[in-house]
Amino acid sequence: MNAFLGPLDSIGRVPPRQQTRVAAFLISAHGALARQLVFALPQQMKAGWQTELNAQFYRESEIVSLLLRTTSWVVDPELLMLAASWEAAWLPKPVNGPSDRLLASTIDLAALGHAVHGAIRPAALLPDKALAEDPFVMALRRIEFESGRMIQAQILFLKGQDLLPHRDAVNTAVGERHRQVRALWDTMLRGVGVERETAG
Amino acid sequence: MPFLAVGSYRIRYELEGPDDRPAYVLVNGLTQYAELWAGYRTALVARGFRVATFDMLGQGESDKPGLFITQDDQVTALGLLIDQLGKGPVFLGGISFGGLIALRYAIAHPGRLAGLVVMSAFAEMSPQLLLIGNALRTALILGGVSYLQDLLLPMNVSDAWLKPLLGNLEAVKRQGWLTNDVYALQNLMESFLDFKPLTPQLASIGVPTLILNGEFDFLTPRSLHETLRLHIPDSALVIIPRAYHAFTLEKPALTADLLANFAENVLAGKWRGEKSVWIAPEEAGGALFPFPPDQDHLRAIPRTTVPT
Repeated sequence: MNAFLGPLDSIGRVPPRQQTRVAAFLISAHGALARQLVFALPQQMKAGWQTELNAQFYRESEIVSLLLRTTSWVVDPELLMLAASWEAAWLPKPVNGPSDRLLASTIDLAALGHAVHGAIRPAALLPDKALAEDPFVMALRRIEFESGRMIQAQILFLKGQDLLPHRDAVNTAVGERHRQVRALWDTMLRGVGVERETAG
Repeated sequence: MPFLAVGSYRIRYELEGPDDRPAYVLVNGLTQYAELWAGYRTALVARGFRVATFDMLGQGESDKPGLFITQDDQVTALGLLIDQLGKGPVFLGGISFGGLIALRYAIAHPGRLAGLVVMSAFAEMSPQLLLIGNALRTALILGGVSYLQDLLLPMNVSDAWLKPLLGNLEAVKRQGWLTNDVYALQNLMESFLDFKPLTPQLASIGVPTLILNGEFDFLTPRSLHETLRLHIPDSALVIIPRAYHAFTLEKPALTADLLANFAENVLAGKWRGEKSVWIAPEEAGGALFPFPPDQDHLRAIPRTTVPT
């Protein structure tokens, strides 16, 4: 096991099998967020932070598109099972607490977004010798950078005054989604020989 | 790797040195992690101390709560770590954000410490510090950890330290970048949103207190340390020559020596704070010398003080 992706090839590219698994996971997670955002975006926005969701929808879609085009794909039969388990994990789980079902679902979506953008750091998997100009390397860096921006919509919403009465439910939802996403990410990485140091 | 349970979270800590020795507990700055104290562990253990270092909530290998971390949570975690050290004398040192947490602990637990060292710290948010803090938070949000590091590095250390590293800055930044997560750092920064000045409570710190301030620290300048000196009864302010905000990184041998000397003096009953002002030596092993009493230590331009 290694803490980073690799071993890199002679010019510093990530092995295609690792690229395939990592990209498939990220496409699954960011694709799920994009799909759920389509339904969560209101026709008429009522709060400022909702404008961020519109931007997030397009950025999530961009990440999917980017990975489809930058990854050196290889056939990976295990992905069928893995992708099914990932997709099942992203399904909406309205949080307990708020009686408003729409609000409960939105909190869950934001918690999932917080976890995907906060707990997954794909660029931190790159060894320092990774080829900076390689499209896949650049894509991972871009995804991590954009995640730091996109998480702001979730932070604004989840820490906002409107959710003060539901703070415990919100905290629990975010904690659970973080644990879930980290566990899936770490398991996927172990499957391609990467053992991330765990920080909760 | 030992962990301490703080509610539902885990704090990663490290203890080094015999458990019958006086303890030093060192608290990280905002973007730091416990391993940055490795040299201090070695130096202080060699001087006969037991040393505890840890990652605060949201830092390094400790848990990183998703949304909310209060400074009280950090004080609670620090308290649990100190409780692990038994009944012997405990010296507590913290830098910057860690200095603030150390101050809060000392205020909340007046009888527990044998001595306190606050470095590059503050009890008030001056307008400059408030605006710099807001700008750093915006930098983190817009540019990520790497951009925050780019801003902090030139504020924190000297040209002399940076010059030989200029061609290799990415390597210097890498461990900090790997260790810090945007949302966790943001939570630490946002723990200041409801900040109230500690100044009215400083007088309750009854323990010997060493205040260390870099000569050229413009992130937390002399005036902020002066507030600490004037309000903490048994304090002394020591100015570190040619140092900036992060002198614990830039001058570890000197700083570890100052920490050890302070604790040894306290334990030997030789400490006299008296709200005095001193200048540290350039290198470890040298003696402190008093700031010239007829000069104003708050000014860069030599200016004779008028006795009051």
